[in-house]
Amino acid sequence: MMKISRRNMMQMMGAAAFAGPLASATRAFAAREKELNILCWEGYNSAEVLDPFRSSQGARVKAESLTNDPTMINRLRAGETRIWDLINVNNPWARKVMAPAGLIKPLPRAEFEPYFDTMLPEFKAPYRWAMSDDGKDLLGMAQRFGPYSFVVNTDKISKATAEEQGWDLFNDASLAGKYGVQESDDWNVFNIFLVAGINPFKEHTEEEFKAFAETAEKIFKGAKMVGDMASLNQALVSGEIDLYMTGGTYSVSPARADGYPNLRAITPLKGPIDGKGGISWIEITSTVNNPELSPLAIEFLKYVQDPEVSHTVAFAEGTFNPVSQMGDPKCFELFTKEELEAIQWDTLEEDMARSAEYDILPDYDKALELMTAAKRLRG
Amino acid sequence: MAAMTHTETDGKQGLLPAIPAGLRAAAPVTILLVLGFLAPLLTVAAYAFATPRSFDVFRSFTLANFSAIFDPSNTVWMSFAWSLAYASATVVLLAAIAYPIAYGLNRMFGKWSGLVGVLFVFPLFVSENVRLYGWVLFFIKNGVLDGGLKWLGFSGGPEVLYTPGIILFGMIYVYLPFMLFPMSLGIAMIPRDLVDAARDLGASRFMIWREVELPLAMPGILIGMLLTFVLGAGAIAEAKILGGQSVIPIAQDIEVAFTYAQNWPLGSALALLLVAIVSGLALYVLSKLDLDRILGKR
Repeated sequence: MMKISRRNMMQMMGAAAFAGPLASATRAFAAREKELNILCWEGYNSAEVLDPFRSSQGARVKAESLTNDPTMINRLRAGETRIWDLINVNNPWARKVMAPAGLIKPLPRAEFEPYFDTMLPEFKAPYRWAMSDDGKDLLGMAQRFGPYSFVVNTDKISKATAEEQGWDLFNDASLAGKYGVQESDDWNVFNIFLVAGINPFKEHTEEEFKAFAETAEKIFKGAKMVGDMASLNQALVSGEIDLYMTGGTYSVSPARADGYPNLRAITPLKGPIDGKGGISWIEITSTVNNPELSPLAIEFLKYVQDPEVSHTVAFAEGTFNPVSQMGDPKCFELFTKEELEAIQWDTLEEDMARSAEYDILPDYDKALELMTAAKRLRG
Repeated sequence: MAAMTHTETDGKQGLLPAIPAGLRAAAPVTILLVLGFLAPLLTVAAYAFATPRSFDVFRSFTLANFSAIFDPSNTVWMSFAWSLAYASATVVLLAAIAYPIAYGLNRMFGKWSGLVGVLFVFPLFVSENVRLYGWVLFFIKNGVLDGGLKWLGFSGGPEVLYTPGIILFGMIYVYLPFMLFPMSLGIAMIPRDLVDAARDLGASRFMIWREVELPLAMPGILIGMLLTFVLGAGAIAEAKILGGQSVIPIAQDIEVAFTYAQNWPLGSALALLLVAIVSGLALYVLSKLDLDRILGKR
């Protein structure tokens, strides 16, 4: 029998100290089976959505929410593809940026395409934003969407007037000091182009940039406030402001659900984007090109297609939004009358029809610089 | 085997006679802390010299980010100016506001001073953003102030929300404890005997304050000023939440560079400049300070 002395006891402890972390590392490696990391807009990170999945799979699910697309995509670019399994961003990024850059990987088409059949009519397969440029690969799944232009207090400006006037409202000198601007700078760039009567989603001439800079300066000088959407809704309710850009069902639905149906997302009747004046967004959730992609990524994407879970996603904490799965009667019937009112279901179809789908601006960097400079002139 | 290990250890001890055992034992933790402190700063510094709009940190070297900042057409200097002006104004106003309170805590409130002190600490337990949103509800149209005054039959409250003035109010409110407590410590260090002696020798109340109390409390006052200035120069929430971005502080430009603009190198260059300006000012003030006196090692 081996005699254990104090010395070799110490040696064994030393070996264990070294081996310990290694052993747990192998465990962590194997645990990718039961681990899922999601990079998303808020909602998918809520306990209501994640907890049932966690308990049914016995999985550790981590979700981090950010409030702009470029930051999320650059997290992957900076090397975080090893960390994340799913990324949830707006429509153009999967097809135009992430797939060409190899940041995401395609979904098994046969497994996921049938889900599009029960979605709202405009999402029928092959759905453009879910597909690769060559139309061969399915790059992600669609769920939340909505029109996103501006929001008015209809007690002050009627829906009809707001839709008819469109972005010109922000050119109206009599409304200076009565509107707010939301701090989502990427969308503000689109909107300022629209107020200037210019299509944002194209290359711009020097002349157009000059008009953009002048409009930006005027917009920010005339803005009562620039803030987050909760502050803007609060300011609308209190009467500090009568309208704000950027806004839509995404930003105003919480206030509508709280009992302020007079606050309303407006989509202009017309505008400079091939006749359209509104802009809409559709989120696409894709699997990250992670060398150790968790098998739960695919499971989670299937899980959120379920009618009940889709309804939970639509009304997760923070903001309330329509979901493409509302095309399925089993999902639609879960929405109460109040919930449909909060997301402006009555005009959703026409609002989406009058909106151009959000796209990437080729000269965004220059426009953002001009807009940031214009903002500084407020003080 | 055991003997060999022993010899090796002896050899090492012979080579490093100057490092005390305690320090050697603490070395792993020290290295970890130094790395944890320095690594993020070094990364930011390295990013500041990387190609604009890239992630080529440690792989490229360029001064393009700084030349973009110093370009005469770039108005980012306005953000620096606003931040430094707000920080300076906060320091001056807080010095005037906090001194009487600090004096009271030490000399006048007696048994109540503990309670008063706690009341000033208490807000620190609540997130700054939550407190600022609270002030929004207080000042907003038909809010606590405006609605309350209307209810009492007045025409309503002043329209102060979303103005540059309210930002200064917010900063004074948020940073008051950071000025108050170092200042209070400074005043506590004034020996009563010296004040009594000055009075016995015929000094007026003002003379005692100017010649005895103020110089002796100065280290505490300066530390309070330094702390509020550094915090004020990096302030962002007050301008965003209360000020409705009526003024753009430099911290917001840095934030935009890291988020919407996705120009990490530019954001890092701005951050590095801010660190240089603020630490330059801080070092200057510290060089005028006798730390021994503050620590009571006279």
